[in-house]
Amino acid sequence: MQVVMHKPSHPGAPLLVVGLRAGFLMGVAALLVTGIVGGLLRAGVALPVPGDSIWPGQAVLGHAFLMICGFMGTVIGIERAVAVKLRFALGAPVASALAGLAMLAGEPSAAAWLAVVAATVFIAVNAVVVEHQRAPHTVLLLAGAAAWLVGNLLQALDSQPAAVIPWWFSFLVLTIAAERLEMTRLMRRRRGAPIALYGCLVTMLLGATAFAMSPVWGGVVYGVSLTLLAGWLMVFDIARRTVVATGLSRYMAICLLLGYCWLAVAGAAWVATSAGLPFRDAALHALGLGFIFSMMLGHAPVILPALARVKVRFGWFFYVPLILLHASLVVRLCLGAHAFDMLTLGAEGNALAIALFALTMTGAALASRVRHPSARHRRMDCVGGHQQESTRLLCRPRSPAELKAIAGTDAATEQK
Amino acid sequence: MVMAEELNLATSVPYRYSGPPELRAPIEAALRQVVDPEVALTIVDVGLVYAVTVSDKQVHVSMTMTSAACPVADIILADVEAELELVVPTNLSIDVELAWDPPWTADRMSPRAKELMGW
Repeated sequence: MQVVMHKPSHPGAPLLVVGLRAGFLMGVAALLVTGIVGGLLRAGVALPVPGDSIWPGQAVLGHAFLMICGFMGTVIGIERAVAVKLRFALGAPVASALAGLAMLAGEPSAAAWLAVVAATVFIAVNAVVVEHQRAPHTVLLLAGAAAWLVGNLLQALDSQPAAVIPWWFSFLVLTIAAERLEMTRLMRRRRGAPIALYGCLVTMLLGATAFAMSPVWGGVVYGVSLTLLAGWLMVFDIARRTVVATGLSRYMAICLLLGYCWLAVAGAAWVATSAGLPFRDAALHALGLGFIFSMMLGHAPVILPALARVKVRFGWFFYVPLILLHASLVVRLCLGAHAFDMLTLGAEGNALAIALFALTMTGAALASRVRHPSARHRRMDCVGGHQQESTRLLCRPRSPAELKAIAGTDAATEQK
Repeated sequence: MVMAEELNLATSVPYRYSGPPELRAPIEAALRQVVDPEVALTIVDVGLVYAVTVSDKQVHVSMTMTSAACPVADIILADVEAELELVVPTNLSIDVELAWDPPWTADRMSPRAKELMGW
């Protein structure tokens, strides 16, 4: 049996590493904040930004770049680097984060080429993943990375700028579709389901390709593919089953299912916009916020502990930012097409929801620290023979009655 | 310490267990405490645990993930270690390793997991 050693990282990382990690995460957070500020200014929100600084204007111009390449590209890059555990893999998120900072500094050309570097390294990282596991979902991850590179090259070469956004979104949609395809392996697959998914995704890429030559027909094809993909996810994803669970599992499923609804709306809005109707904001933000951010809100309580080495305690309060995000999207996208003040109000609600989610995650991390001190430290203390009475109790083997109680616990319905 | 070799065919445990019989149930109970929140199932029910070997000095767990791109592998491995720390004698070290060969397939899921997932 070929085995890859993969031990959990010890919490006692060198101070320099901890500092670098914290600084990098703060940089990523800064990209998110400035990207949101750019979006709010675009939506007509009057924000007190410094007038003598270049970054607010750059945040407005580079809103999509900051959100997709700067923030999401970096987060996904870190996520993949953590998975493959190869040092070179960190090159992708470092380059994409620097790309975001270069954009804010008023260097769009340098930013665009740094994004090309990030996507190129990211392709290499995903090739490693495919080498580890040759499976349809890992190939889709690789395809997503390639779509990101196409979008970034179009941006850097200043060629076919209209097609950049569809390619950037294709990167995110392919990444999510790959992850969902992987989860469907736990369900009995209906014949033809994978082929149907590949059909949706190939259609999406055809739409992105055609967008450069004909934004109308490219937009129609792209929109139709998104709506078909939403239907596929609604029918085949495990979220329809896990939504009947409790706790974090149900929360994640609700985030997914709400996201699929917005994906269908986004597809319709892409078609409507191509037909000349005023739904461009819905086409972009039903996809970017309704679908993609909903996925992020759902997975953050699981992914963030892996990226930031902190645990979080799930609770009902996670639903507050989720409800606010989707309610404000309804205001923004349903009413905002004909009333700009509603679009502005909705955008404010979107930003507030993301800020509230950040607070929720921080609170959940603190709550986890209070409730669950590190088990590893407990054992180390015990082995060292300097334990407190309480930790010694935790170190002893449990009694048969305790173990029976544990074994009888229905883990499927309990969240730690 | 009495050593015994028990294969999964002889027990309800869906992985190979080798070691003292008296530790088999506590270890399985500990492993069942680790839940994959995405699917609301324990790692044992998903079939992620391949083998547990208990020697005089060590508890060794070999397990896998459903995807090589899974960023939470470290967290799950750490959770396994933390749960085992609560049930195994303190003179035993704990070693949890990730294996990609053989790859995970849905055949490894427990009957209960398959039922929950609509098989």
